Amino acid sequence: MGAGLSMAEAAPRFEMRGIRRTFPGVVALDDVSFSCAAGEVHALCGENGAGKSTLIKVLGGVHQPDAGTILLDGKPVRLNHPLEARRHGISIIHQELSLLPERSVADNIYVGREPGRLGLLDRAAMRAGAETWLRRFGCRFGADAVAGSLSIAEQQVVEIAKALVFNARILVMDEPTAALDETETERLLALVRQLRAEGVAIVFISHRMRHLFAVADTITVLKDGKLVGTRPRGATSPEEIVRMMVGRELKDYYPARRARAPGAPVLTVAGGGNEWIEGIGFELYPGEIVAVAGLEGSGKAALGRAIFGAAPFSRGQMVVGGQAVRPNTPLDAIRLGIGYVSDDRKAEGLALRQSVLENALLAMRGIAAIFSRPGRTAPRGRGIDQLLREVDVRAAGYDQQIRLLSGGNQQKTVLARWLALAPRILVCAEPTRGIDVAAKAAIYRLLRAYADSGKAVLTITSDLPEAIGIADRLLVMHEGRLAGELPAGATEEDVVALAAGHQFEAAPA
Amino acid sequence: MTAIGSAARFAPVRLLGRIHPSYAALLVLLIAIAFLTPNFLSPLGVMAFLRRGASLAIVSVGQLFVLSMGGFDLSVGSLITLAVMGSALMINNDPALTWHAIALVYLMGIGSGLFLGLVVSYLKVPSIIASLGALLSIKGVALAWSGGSPQGYLPDNFRQFGRVTYHDVPIIQVLPMSVVVLAVFVAICAWLFHGTTFGRLALIVGDNPRAADLAGVRVRLVRIVGFLVSAVSAVTAGILLGGFAGPAQDVGDGFELQAIAANVLGGTQLLGGRGSVAGVVAGSLTLTALFTVLNLIGLPKPLRDAVQGGILIAAVAYSVRRQGWEK
Repeated sequence: MGAGLSMAEAAPRFEMRGIRRTFPGVVALDDVSFSCAAGEVHALCGENGAGKSTLIKVLGGVHQPDAGTILLDGKPVRLNHPLEARRHGISIIHQELSLLPERSVADNIYVGREPGRLGLLDRAAMRAGAETWLRRFGCRFGADAVAGSLSIAEQQVVEIAKALVFNARILVMDEPTAALDETETERLLALVRQLRAEGVAIVFISHRMRHLFAVADTITVLKDGKLVGTRPRGATSPEEIVRMMVGRELKDYYPARRARAPGAPVLTVAGGGNEWIEGIGFELYPGEIVAVAGLEGSGKAALGRAIFGAAPFSRGQMVVGGQAVRPNTPLDAIRLGIGYVSDDRKAEGLALRQSVLENALLAMRGIAAIFSRPGRTAPRGRGIDQLLREVDVRAAGYDQQIRLLSGGNQQKTVLARWLALAPRILVCAEPTRGIDVAAKAAIYRLLRAYADSGKAVLTITSDLPEAIGIADRLLVMHEGRLAGELPAGATEEDVVALAAGHQFEAAPA
Repeated sequence: MTAIGSAARFAPVRLLGRIHPSYAALLVLLIAIAFLTPNFLSPLGVMAFLRRGASLAIVSVGQLFVLSMGGFDLSVGSLITLAVMGSALMINNDPALTWHAIALVYLMGIGSGLFLGLVVSYLKVPSIIASLGALLSIKGVALAWSGGSPQGYLPDNFRQFGRVTYHDVPIIQVLPMSVVVLAVFVAICAWLFHGTTFGRLALIVGDNPRAADLAGVRVRLVRIVGFLVSAVSAVTAGILLGGFAGPAQDVGDGFELQAIAANVLGGTQLLGGRGSVAGVVAGSLTLTALFTVLNLIGLPKPLRDAVQGGILIAAVAYSVRRQGWEK
């Protein structure tokens, strides 16, 4: 720690000065300066579209700046191609990992740099080299493991090893914690600190204030392609950073709860189980938001899929609106009045090349008669256009392909898809994964308003502050079972203790 | 302000990019044909051209339904052969049996489409493999049934669909019955693809079947209907071809690839998610015009095949580049 700080005072490993980059019709970066010293973790934040990824692509040689200079160890360089950047020791680990899923860890670490002897692959050297890296990082898997079989967190470690084999001295990590749970995040942050101590210059991009503040020495905020400011961590606060990102005070980040009238539960699960979960029992009432928390692999994702019929319960009872049901497909569940927002927006939520409108209409299309006229009016008479305006999807037009929208606007479109059907139970898996702060606040408001309209919302989230901030009650899962229930106002420590499997006296009511 | 300036500067370029080159190619080819055959620009010439292109246009539009869902239907060529050979064998020049035979070949087509759809949806066999298998099986059945050589005869009331031309029609003077069949088939398909929920779902399934499933879409049903439309299009094309050319055991050969080529030319996205009936009709007419030109300048059949293969590759390469530009 002390070593890291003293090294940070030396000449920066890289410095970007007055970078400007335009694309047809937009100024993506306007006079942005950014630097990082050896042994420094410099966090970069900003909302989607603020210019973070363009800045990273300029550093990585993907885009060339229209104006401004890049200095490496004080010497100006031109990075005309990603390979040149890589030769200068700049390595970028993207949010979408780039490992070859069918190849071993060793193959992946050495891809493009395979050690050879007499023109043949030196597999022994590759394996030994890979094992050395894995040991250094304290990994529990071996060099022969197939990359595709590893968890996201483990794959990230392989990506980091791969970068270091390329002699990376500047490591850029784009949203590395977005798909990780708390323990995995802790492990990754520890690894980042280790790399910092070894003198690597690290650029750390994240939306999560807690992770930023846990690891960054310096924090820089971009907004609308401009530099808002750079602050040492000790001299700022999460509130200030959020204010800088949004450009205004984010009031009522989590919407206020309203007392709800007690009534009959809209969903009851008793003894529910399948391949992944066991002995699930809980009730969900109209008007409330219940958050399901737990570590990756705790079964919280499987619970959402079971209720929605995507990976149905094979045991136990499920009662919806007073009737025993057993939804075996998503369509069954939808007909019962259950909606589901997937945690993997791109792979499971959106038809990326279709329009915003078609994506918003998808659930309505699913239950419509197959040879019917394709309408654009929700069953309750509200037009889909109006609904998209209400949830505030910002697009050049609703005919625009949805892949061109920001993550936040994509997620609002998915929400609109379900609001159009007005299901009495809305299951949302990771409703704010990978979207910016303002969009998160908007999603929280939408979910709260939906609950206030008398519907039940079940959110499944790895983001603890979010779970605590938004929920009326928390269900915590551990190893496929419900470990306990916590009321609103529970602390992160309470949740973590339950999620880690510590037993409590208090049993779910 | 910069936004407005650069948008204006780029607009003409972008507009040029939007016009699909298939239409330009079609126009050039039609002008070439007009130069090579003097009476092409008469109603007679145009109708003769449409009649020649009708069967390919019909199979191509059928193929659109499978391609837009991210599949391939390679079985249509041998299904055409089966429809022609089967009809000839069942009717054997007895006009009274024509309608029964037509009903039976449609049933066979529906059976084949249903089978393919079920295999692809439930057994999860990739459609390119399943339909390649069906291509071999159907062709085998057609050849075994006919003993390997063209047999049986098609009476006039069967051949009328491909052959008969109404005369003294106002304005257009002549109207081949195959053009009527083409117009009706295309109209039905345009309604299915652009005017029903099914058409929207076909594109969504082609784009992301998992997302469709999780939104409650009956993905299997959508896929099965797609294969049914394709199979029905093949039988319809076969009936036209039988009338046009008579029974032959190679009558449908190569139609599957021509139909895919016509789709690519017409802007259908291979692997799904995009396509239009109008585009595919234009694409198939482009291909027919190309064959006509190659024929008129006296290129032998093997060379025509070679040129066709080159065109297919070039068209796909172009459409991939085009997607890149749109990003």
